[in-house]
Amino acid sequence: MISIDNVSKHYGSFQVLTDCTTQVKKGEVIVVCGPSGSGKSTLIKCVNGLEPFQSGSIIVDGISVGDPKTKLSKLRSRVGMVFQHFELFPHMSITDNLSIAQEKVLGRNRDEARAKGLKLLERVGLKAHAEKFPGQLSGGQQQRVAIARALCMDPICMLFDEPTSALDPEMINEVLDVMVELAQEGMTMMCVTHEMGFARKVANRVIFMDKGQIVEDDSKDAFFGAPRSERARQFLAKILQH
Amino acid sequence: MNYQWNWGIFLSPAASGDSTYLGWMLSGLQTTVLLSLSAWLIALALGSLMGVLRTVPNKWLSGLASAYVEIFRNIPLLVQLFIWYFVLPELLPASLGDAFKQKLDPVTQQFVSAMVCLGFFTSARVCEQVRSGINSLPRGQKNAGLALGFTLPQTYRHVLLPMAFRLVVPPLTSEFLNIFKNSAVCSTIGLLELAAQGRQLVDYTAQPYESFIAVTLLYVLINVVVMTLMRHLENKTRVPGYLGGK
Amino acid sequence: MYDFDWSSIPGALPFLWEGMKISLEITVSAVIFGVVWGTLLAMMRLAPVKPLAWFAAGYVNLFRSIPLVMVLLWFFLIVPQLLRSFFNLDPNTDVRLTSAMIGFALFESAYYSEIIRAGIQSVPKGQVAAASALGMTYAQAMRLVVLPQAFRNMVPLLLTQAIVLFQDTSLVYMSALADFFGAAYKVGDRDGRLVELLLFAGAVYFFICFAASQLVRRYQKKLNAHVAH
Ligand SMILES: Nc1ncnc2c1ncn2[C@@H]1O[C@H](COP(=O)(O)OP(=O)(O)OP(=O)(O)O)[C@@H](O)[C@H]1O
Ligand SMILES: [Mg+2]
Repeated sequence: MISIDNVSKHYGSFQVLTDCTTQVKKGEVIVVCGPSGSGKSTLIKCVNGLEPFQSGSIIVDGISVGDPKTKLSKLRSRVGMVFQHFELFPHMSITDNLSIAQEKVLGRNRDEARAKGLKLLERVGLKAHAEKFPGQLSGGQQQRVAIARALCMDPICMLFDEPTSALDPEMINEVLDVMVELAQEGMTMMCVTHEMGFARKVANRVIFMDKGQIVEDDSKDAFFGAPRSERARQFLAKILQH
Repeated sequence: MNYQWNWGIFLSPAASGDSTYLGWMLSGLQTTVLLSLSAWLIALALGSLMGVLRTVPNKWLSGLASAYVEIFRNIPLLVQLFIWYFVLPELLPASLGDAFKQKLDPVTQQFVSAMVCLGFFTSARVCEQVRSGINSLPRGQKNAGLALGFTLPQTYRHVLLPMAFRLVVPPLTSEFLNIFKNSAVCSTIGLLELAAQGRQLVDYTAQPYESFIAVTLLYVLINVVVMTLMRHLENKTRVPGYLGGK
Repeated sequence: MYDFDWSSIPGALPFLWEGMKISLEITVSAVIFGVVWGTLLAMMRLAPVKPLAWFAAGYVNLFRSIPLVMVLLWFFLIVPQLLRSFFNLDPNTDVRLTSAMIGFALFESAYYSEIIRAGIQSVPKGQVAAASALGMTYAQAMRLVVLPQAFRNMVPLLLTQAIVLFQDTSLVYMSALADFFGAAYKVGDRDGRLVELLLFAGAVYFFICFAASQLVRRYQKKLNAHVAH
């Protein structure tokens, strides 16, 4: 489904990604973790072309992301993405947030788009809030709406960039529950997150990044059991301390 | 000082034409309002376009837009006005320039020059407001739009601009007020707008205080009306749960 | 196509320079007076004494709602009469420059006062409380604690306003006073070379204001870097 091959990226002389290689098969859930600034967000943004990269290749569902001939907007409409800060559109009601891209990008008609939006809103447990505006919802609720918004596009896979790290602790679980459910239904997912409980529960593999490199890429049991690198061991020790 | 106040002057018939001096004032007011509104349309359209260009990833386009802003911001309005009115018709290809100077009556010439001048002058300021509105949005908004499959123009159209415009209503209000005030500069090329009518009235009646007080009050009135309207607009475009909305 | 002829400019340079000196004189005097009077207005507006606050608010709002052109017309009308009756001047004394200076200063102070008010308000309230706790009066707290902090952040805005003011001084053209623009217009009119002289004037204003605004921008960057540390 997603194939990342020798991808490197730099800002000027600063190397953000160095020779990153990994694959995500259909139905797999991959968790990406690593210290701040290690390039996790950059890597995941390369997958749907939000960040350009200088060398290597990324193939998503048979389409090359780096190819200048690829119509990126078309590809992105099929890859769902959820952001750390939700990024709902504050000037639109929840319903409009859910339907605008369906109408303007997929060309669905208004009724169809609204019906689909409502269905997914119900799924994330927020049907009652359909006519509110994003600013009137809590962070956890906003993030669930953001997941619903991505699902409205019938994505072939989903990318998550630290979806819970801007949330108060009591809201983290309501978002993780939605993600777990999604994973159990067989959605292909690539998640940057430090929620190790989530990784233990549903991840197929865990990728550990440091200084722009993929240091570990292993099954979750191998990763949690005995990380191969010293860096990953330290990282895990720190994160599991609390 | 013994000044003879005479407020009745406004109702006495004007020295020329068949109206009263009050009629002069009102026609000046009308010109000021028409001129400012039409210039404002130019400023909004051009300024928004340039403001968007200043934020696009293409270096050439954003460079072009920033040169545009620098030119219109660093030359005094009066000089720009004289250049539009006196210089440009000379520099146009002869046929066009002559058409402007001979086919159009002088009042239209003055009005068109003044409108275009004020429009361009203000557009540079509108551009800066629109740009800072767009830049003040969280970076992730653009990515969120793109990630949903919007093209860059669609992202601007549906995601960035609607929000940016709401943010810039207050600063644009002050630019909108400025355009009315700046329109008074256009009296210098002979356009008979409000300030010019005021001066003309002084020349004809020798009652300077009444005239200037009336003109000043009319400008204050314009100010109050515009502010009320814009406050209305601001309330209407307020986003619930955001920026002091409820 | 228009035939350019720039030959009347070199000979007119001394005259144009005299004009530029007038423009600068008006600018500098209005900036100095405007900042001083603007600061007082801002402090009055924020002061706990209601009548003072009302007076300052009225002054600022009035001047900000009428065009500079109108203000100048008022001053060219009234100030000469006042000056003459106060100082018993000979009716032929040229007081246009003084009128212009006063007009610009009073007008600009309204704008400066708004910048300064915003600057004062950007200083955390706790600072005044801390100063009062040390036994300072309101005036002392302002002068010793609040204003020094406020001014540092305001300097770029005040300078930008000064550049705007410099451009606005071209409006004294209305009183036939030969500031830089007035001088350029006179030369152009005399030699029938208005096109060249207007373009020349525009270019000169552009280079001065552009250079000045770049300096302000650089200063602002330095200031921001300073604050960030
Ligand atoms: N536009 C940019 N210009 C220069 N450097 C950048 C830019 N964007 C990111 N970087 C750098 O690239 C590196 C990787 O950034 P990235 O956001 O991918 O890290 P991350 O692993 O997601 O960290 P975090 O956990 O803090 O989100 C960082 O060191 C960052 O400073
Ligand atoms: Mg990140």
